[in-house]
Amino acid sequence: MRLFGRLSIGLLGRLSAILLLTLAVEFIASTVLYEKSSRALIREDEARRLAEHLVIARKLLSNEPIPGRPALAARLTTDRYDVHWAGSTTMPRPTRSQRDEAFRRVINWEPSLTGSDLRVETVAAGRRAQLFGALRLSDQSWMRFRASEPETVGQPGWHRTLLVLLPAAVLLVIGALLFRRTLRPIRMLARAADRIGRSSGLTLPEAGPTEVRHLIHAFNAMQHRIHQLITARTEALAAVGHDLRTPLARLQLRAEQIAEPKLRRAFEADITEMESMVLSLLAFLGGDDDPELPVRTDVAVMAATVVDDAADRGADAVYVGDDHLEAEVRAVDLKRAIANLVENALQYGTCARVGATVQDGMLLIWVEDDGPGIPDARMEEVLHPFTRLDPARSRNTNGLGLGLAIVSRLAEAEGGRLSLSNLAAGGLRAELKLPLR
Amino acid sequence: MTSPVIVLVEDDPALRSLTTRALQENGYLVRPCATAPEMWSAMEAGPVDLLLLDIMLPGTSGIDLCRAVRRESDVPIIFISAKGSETDRVVGLELGADDYLAKPFGTRELTARIRAVLRRGGLEDRRAHRDKGLAEFDGFTVSLPRRELTSPSGGTIDLTGAEFDLLAALIDNAQRVIARERLIELSRTRMGDSSDRSVDVLISRLRRKLSRDGKEAPIITVRGVGYMLNATVTRR
Repeated sequence: MRLFGRLSIGLLGRLSAILLLTLAVEFIASTVLYEKSSRALIREDEARRLAEHLVIARKLLSNEPIPGRPALAARLTTDRYDVHWAGSTTMPRPTRSQRDEAFRRVINWEPSLTGSDLRVETVAAGRRAQLFGALRLSDQSWMRFRASEPETVGQPGWHRTLLVLLPAAVLLVIGALLFRRTLRPIRMLARAADRIGRSSGLTLPEAGPTEVRHLIHAFNAMQHRIHQLITARTEALAAVGHDLRTPLARLQLRAEQIAEPKLRRAFEADITEMESMVLSLLAFLGGDDDPELPVRTDVAVMAATVVDDAADRGADAVYVGDDHLEAEVRAVDLKRAIANLVENALQYGTCARVGATVQDGMLLIWVEDDGPGIPDARMEEVLHPFTRLDPARSRNTNGLGLGLAIVSRLAEAEGGRLSLSNLAAGGLRAELKLPLR
Repeated sequence: MTSPVIVLVEDDPALRSLTTRALQENGYLVRPCATAPEMWSAMEAGPVDLLLLDIMLPGTSGIDLCRAVRRESDVPIIFISAKGSETDRVVGLELGADDYLAKPFGTRELTARIRAVLRRGGLEDRRAHRDKGLAEFDGFTVSLPRRELTSPSGGTIDLTGAEFDLLAALIDNAQRVIARERLIELSRTRMGDSSDRSVDVLISRLRRKLSRDGKEAPIITVRGVGYMLNATVTRR
């Protein structure tokens, strides 16, 4: 049960979750790596342009006479780069050169700046980073500059996320569908396993991936073995049932020679009981090799005849249903079922009321008795074979406890159902409902 | 009147001798056999009135044997089976057996069946009358060997043994009044004393089972005398 609970999201769910996890990891990893490398590329590019601009500005400012320098610096200022010439020789910010990455990149691209006492400092301002810096002209005056980095590229915007997530979602759906297809043989297997022992087995086609194919093969073999085992046991029991009839016949003929009437009757009653046990056992085992064919039968008259047979044996049984009701039924099985219900009623009660009619398009046969009924908790149990209601009374109870099991099985085989309920006035009501054909 | 001769084929020695004795005590001459070859020589030993055949014999199955006997002779056959399944009964009757008896059986049941089959006469008689044992009246069909009644709409109508015997007696005497005492006697011969129901109860049940859509069954009460089947019976 615990195992079942743990597996409740299903194999398909699990596989889909694995797929989702894989996709998520892939998405995160690729995004991070891609972002990083693309940012590095952009910075490199940025540093080169800055280096070129600085080299040109330095050359132009150095060649310009001092009065024209501020105006020239203003002309050299672009959207991206701020260039100032202060004219002073005092050291501006930053006071010392940081040997940071930006510095190295600029120097790498323009080694001629090495002798210009270049110093840079990156200051993060909000979402933008600004690069401040200064360098010395050939006359030792300082040129200051400021570059603002372009807006951080590769910011994960919603449309970008969607663009990456969409293929992932499609992949997930395709993956789930393929998993479903792959798992189909397993579902078939579960259904077939569920049917074992209920109806004739079903040999599954060996399809699907190798492992599943092996599983189905093993399952089919197991099913075959179980079927053989059941058949062998059933045949053995049926053979015993048949073989018992010959000694029973001998016993019956011998019993007739007993002179003392009381003893003879006791013998004959025992033989009758044994015979009915053998009969019910054979009926339960499905003693008939080939199933009976449905025959058009007057079911109402059949139920009445079962009642009449019981009445002829001295029982208090009445038929109160429809006079006539013709339907296609397996007559021998159905008559046995009705007889079992009537016998049951007479065994636990003193009288049996039987009826047959059509209700909601179903054939309904009911049997009511005036016995003690069945405790609600045991309603299901009494339908199982070899169940007898009251252990204290089982000594007086005939049969093997197969009566209701036989009826219930017949009902299931016909697509109908046997239901039991206690009557308000006391007693049990058994309802046998069969599809009307 | 000479005693009827019965050939009994039964492989179980004890059951064979018990059955033989039971039949002898009831006035039959019995030739017991254990196997098919013994049966063939017993059949040749003299005229035979009835064959009592166990369906599960070693060597040959009773069904094959029944078929073989039917090719040679029209002697009435009663099957005895340890299977007691409906298929056996139908197969046996279709192969031309006259009746079917499931083990275990008592002497009373056995002799009642034998008497009934002997009374119906051998196949020769029935063939002479081109009789399949089918009787039709008012749309109903009665198969005497299969003990089946079919309604005008084709549905099987299930009757108790006593009810069927009563119906058979009424058919045999169609459109003639049968005295109650005679009916009681007839139904008792076959059923032994298992049915103590009065004939009146059986008649009322038959009437209900033979009624059709408000149309009453063609069984008439003749006050103070007995009953009559008021319908033309056609035999086939």
